[in-house]
Amino acid sequence: MNKEWSVPSLEVLDVK
Amino acid sequence: MADTMEWTKEQVVAQRPGCIVSDMDGEKVMLSIDRGKYYNLGEIGGRIWDLISSPVSIGNLVDSLVQEYAVGAEECERHVVQFLNQLTAEELITVSRQAS
Repeated sequence: MNKEWSVPSLEVLDVK
Repeated sequence: MADTMEWTKEQVVAQRPGCIVSDMDGEKVMLSIDRGKYYNLGEIGGRIWDLISSPVSIGNLVDSLVQEYAVGAEECERHVVQFLNQLTAEELITVSRQAS
Protein backbone atom coordinates (compact mmCIF):
# COMPACT_ATOMS: atom_id res chain seq x y z
CA MET A 1 0.00 0.00 0.00
CA ASN A 2 1.40 3.37 -1.02
CA LYS A 3 2.17 6.01 1.56
CA GLU A 4 0.08 9.15 1.89
CA TRP A 5 1.19 12.05 -0.30
CA SER A 6 1.37 15.67 0.79
CA VAL A 7 2.68 18.71 -1.05
CA PRO A 8 6.44 18.99 -0.46
CA SER A 9 7.56 22.41 0.70
CA LEU A 10 10.85 24.00 1.69
CA GLU A 11 10.58 25.92 4.95
CA VAL A 12 13.35 28.38 5.78
CA LEU A 13 13.88 28.24 9.54
CA ASP A 14 14.51 31.48 11.37
CA VAL A 15 17.59 30.34 13.22
CA LYS A 16 20.60 32.57 13.75
CA MET B 1 2.92 29.60 -6.22
CA ALA B 2 4.09 30.28 -9.74
CA ASP B 3 6.72 28.25 -11.49
CA THR B 4 9.86 30.32 -11.90
CA MET B 5 11.50 28.33 -14.67
CA GLU B 6 10.52 25.92 -17.39
CA TRP B 7 11.03 22.30 -16.45
CA THR B 8 11.07 19.22 -18.61
CA LYS B 9 11.12 15.56 -17.64
CA GLU B 10 14.54 15.20 -19.25
CA GLN B 11 16.18 17.75 -16.99
CA VAL B 12 18.54 16.28 -14.43
CA VAL B 13 18.70 17.52 -10.85
CA ALA B 14 21.09 16.71 -8.03
CA GLN B 15 21.97 17.89 -4.55
CA ARG B 16 24.54 20.65 -4.40
CA PRO B 17 27.27 19.68 -1.93
CA GLY B 18 27.76 21.62 1.29
CA CYS B 19 24.68 20.71 3.32
CA ILE B 20 24.37 18.89 6.62
CA VAL B 21 21.15 16.92 6.94
CA SER B 22 19.47 15.44 10.00
CA ASP B 23 16.23 13.57 10.57
CA MET B 24 13.92 15.02 13.22
CA ASP B 25 10.66 13.24 14.00
CA GLY B 26 10.39 11.90 10.46
CA GLU B 27 11.13 15.26 8.88
CA LYS B 28 14.43 16.25 7.34
CA VAL B 29 16.17 19.37 8.60
CA MET B 30 19.13 20.76 6.72
CA LEU B 31 21.89 23.28 7.32
CA SER B 32 23.44 24.96 4.32
CA ILE B 33 27.01 25.79 5.24
CA ASP B 34 27.40 28.09 2.25
CA ARG B 35 24.29 30.14 3.03
CA GLY B 36 24.33 29.83 6.82
CA LYS B 37 20.65 28.95 6.82
CA TYR B 38 18.53 26.14 8.22
CA TYR B 39 15.73 24.53 6.25
CA ASN B 40 12.94 22.10 7.04
CA LEU B 41 12.31 19.84 4.06
CA GLY B 42 9.45 17.98 5.71
CA GLU B 43 8.79 14.30 5.15
CA ILE B 44 8.08 14.25 1.41
CA GLY B 45 10.68 16.91 0.70
CA GLY B 46 13.19 14.86 2.65
CA ARG B 47 12.41 11.82 0.52
CA ILE B 48 12.90 13.88 -2.64
CA TRP B 49 16.20 15.13 -1.24
CA ASP B 50 17.30 11.51 -0.74
CA LEU B 51 16.32 10.61 -4.30
CA ILE B 52 18.44 13.42 -5.77
CA SER B 53 21.55 12.44 -3.81
CA SER B 54 22.86 11.42 -7.22
CA PRO B 55 21.80 13.06 -10.51
CA VAL B 56 18.32 11.97 -11.60
CA SER B 57 15.95 13.18 -14.31
CA ILE B 58 12.66 14.80 -13.35
CA GLY B 59 10.85 11.96 -15.11
CA ASN B 60 12.60 9.26 -13.13
CA LEU B 61 12.18 11.21 -9.91
CA VAL B 62 8.42 11.47 -10.43
CA ASP B 63 8.22 7.78 -11.40
CA SER B 64 9.92 6.78 -8.15
CA LEU B 65 7.58 8.92 -6.06
CA VAL B 66 4.43 7.70 -7.84
CA GLN B 67 5.43 4.11 -7.08
CA GLU B 68 6.05 4.94 -3.43
CA TYR B 69 3.18 7.34 -2.66
CA ALA B 70 -0.55 7.45 -3.36
CA VAL B 71 -0.43 10.23 -5.94
CA GLY B 72 -1.03 10.55 -9.67
CA ALA B 73 1.87 11.29 -12.00
CA GLU B 74 0.52 14.65 -13.17
CA GLU B 75 -0.18 15.95 -9.67
CA CYS B 76 3.13 14.59 -8.40
CA GLU B 77 5.10 16.26 -11.20
CA ARG B 78 3.40 19.61 -10.53
CA HIS B 79 4.23 19.45 -6.82
CA VAL B 80 7.78 18.25 -7.44
CA VAL B 81 8.44 21.11 -9.86
CA GLN B 82 7.18 23.64 -7.30
CA PHE B 83 9.48 22.11 -4.70
CA LEU B 84 12.45 22.08 -7.06
CA ASN B 85 11.84 25.75 -7.78
CA GLN B 86 12.15 26.44 -4.06
CA LEU B 87 15.39 24.45 -3.87
CA THR B 88 16.72 26.24 -6.94
CA ALA B 89 15.91 29.66 -5.47
CA GLU B 90 17.99 28.75 -2.41
CA GLU B 91 20.77 27.35 -4.65
CA LEU B 92 20.54 23.95 -2.96
CA ILE B 93 20.48 21.88 -6.16
CA THR B 94 22.11 21.77 -9.56
CA VAL B 95 20.00 21.53 -12.70
CA SER B 96 21.29 20.38 -16.05
CA ARG B 97 19.36 20.60 -19.27
CA GLN B 98 19.27 16.91 -20.08
CA ALA B 99 20.79 13.57 -19.23
CA SER B 100 24.29 13.14 -20.60
